[in-house]
Amino acid sequence: MSLPPIEVRDLSKRWVTRDGSVPALEGISLTVAAHEFLTVLGPSGCGKSTLLSIIGGLVRPDAGEVRIGGEPTDGPDPRKVAMVFQDPGLFPWRTALENVEFGLELQGVSAARRREIARGLLGPVGLRGFEKRYPRELSGGMKQRVAIARALALDSPILLMDEPFGALDEQTRLLMGEWLLGIWTATRKTVVFVTHSLQEAIVLSQRIVVMTARPGRIKASFEVGLPSPRDLASAEATVLRGRLWAEIREESRRAFEVEP
Amino acid sequence: MRVLAWRAAVLVGLLGAWELWAGRQDPLLYIPPSKIVPALGRLLALETYPSLPEHLGLTVVEVLVAYGLAVALGLGLGFLLGLPRHLGEIYEPILSGLYAIPSVVWYPSLMLFFGLGPASKIAFGFLLGFFPVVLAVLAGIRSVDRHLLTVARALGAGPGACFVKVVLPGMTATLLAGLRAGLALTLVGVLVGEVLGARAGLGYLINYAYGLLRTADYAALAALALVLVVLIDGAAAVVEARARRWTG
Repeated sequence: MSLPPIEVRDLSKRWVTRDGSVPALEGISLTVAAHEFLTVLGPSGCGKSTLLSIIGGLVRPDAGEVRIGGEPTDGPDPRKVAMVFQDPGLFPWRTALENVEFGLELQGVSAARRREIARGLLGPVGLRGFEKRYPRELSGGMKQRVAIARALALDSPILLMDEPFGALDEQTRLLMGEWLLGIWTATRKTVVFVTHSLQEAIVLSQRIVVMTARPGRIKASFEVGLPSPRDLASAEATVLRGRLWAEIREESRRAFEVEP
Repeated sequence: MRVLAWRAAVLVGLLGAWELWAGRQDPLLYIPPSKIVPALGRLLALETYPSLPEHLGLTVVEVLVAYGLAVALGLGLGFLLGLPRHLGEIYEPILSGLYAIPSVVWYPSLMLFFGLGPASKIAFGFLLGFFPVVLAVLAGIRSVDRHLLTVARALGAGPGACFVKVVLPGMTATLLAGLRAGLALTLVGVLVGEVLGARAGLGYLINYAYGLLRTADYAALAALALVLVVLIDGAAAVVEARARRWTG
């Protein structure tokens, strides 16, 4: 089966709060090609996470639709889409291994097979020997790697990542980015990666879309034609960074100003 | 080890002070430890109250029945009100308010409804044990990390799997604490009920000995009640620790 791409059409969503309703997304359309690594870049509060939650089927849009592999979404479908969040959200009462097994358990995979798959995933993410540890015994980067392994265990063709390295320190963040690129190269998954870091977007993506401040719309789209491994100090990267910054600067300021 | 030694020293000191002080008071009202020990011996040898085993047995049965009811109804109502979030928000203040009323004010009406027999003790024990359980269920459900539910849904968990694999393990610690508090209070409820008015049970014997100014027997029976409470709560603590380890 060919990997199904993502089509987002005219998506709108308003959040109802105590002070009335706030538009989060307005008329977003976006197509992600198979095997593409797409980064959604935008100021905080621009609705990037909402967009990802809608693509993942966790949130229903007010208008518009999402098609995964041509079919409209109707709730989360882990066989097609796996998600990773900024907060790893590991189940504290489960070991690293048992966390990775969670999705397989729900699919009724046998205990022996689950264990085998989970072990096979924790090894390459550098967590061999940590299978029996509980989340509280792991560092932030390790927790996020377990969460990613848990998402990869579903073996879905699409991976949605909502600022997965946002809570990590700079060094860990860079290493995790490299590691993720390795995974992507090996599995050829379609990845939609949300971040507000220009650097992260430039290092990781094939394509970058910039969103406007609330309500979120797509403002610009950039193909990143840089060779890998990417050198952030190269002239091309610096030029791209400047163009991205020009696009996002105004939006960031707007988001900054409407901040209560 | 040093803590244990200090504890023993404090205990011996307190008992010694009690002994010295009580020895100079009216022996009808003040009993030194040296007289409680023989009284306890006669009590356990079934010399003073030959029917002690039946009384104790009745108290234990009343506690078990009352606690069983408190757990069953507490869990049932707790999940019924707690799982739909808004219902929990509506009822929790009401339940907390009822819980805050000193329960002993209900006891006279329970006696009217259920009579002097075991039923009123069971009702009172249930009343005391029920609230900690139902409130622990509500607090436990509320304490579950919402983000974990989102993650579980994204991994393909429906409502049933979310409940079994996320809500239940997430609330275990809170729930166990409530179940243990409920057991301790059920025991208190049954004993208080028996002391206030009954025809049998450990509390009844305590009241009986007290009424006849058999102060040494009274103190020995109170010591027995203490042992009962410590044993039951100790067993609950062991179960709680096991369950905690099991759920991580």
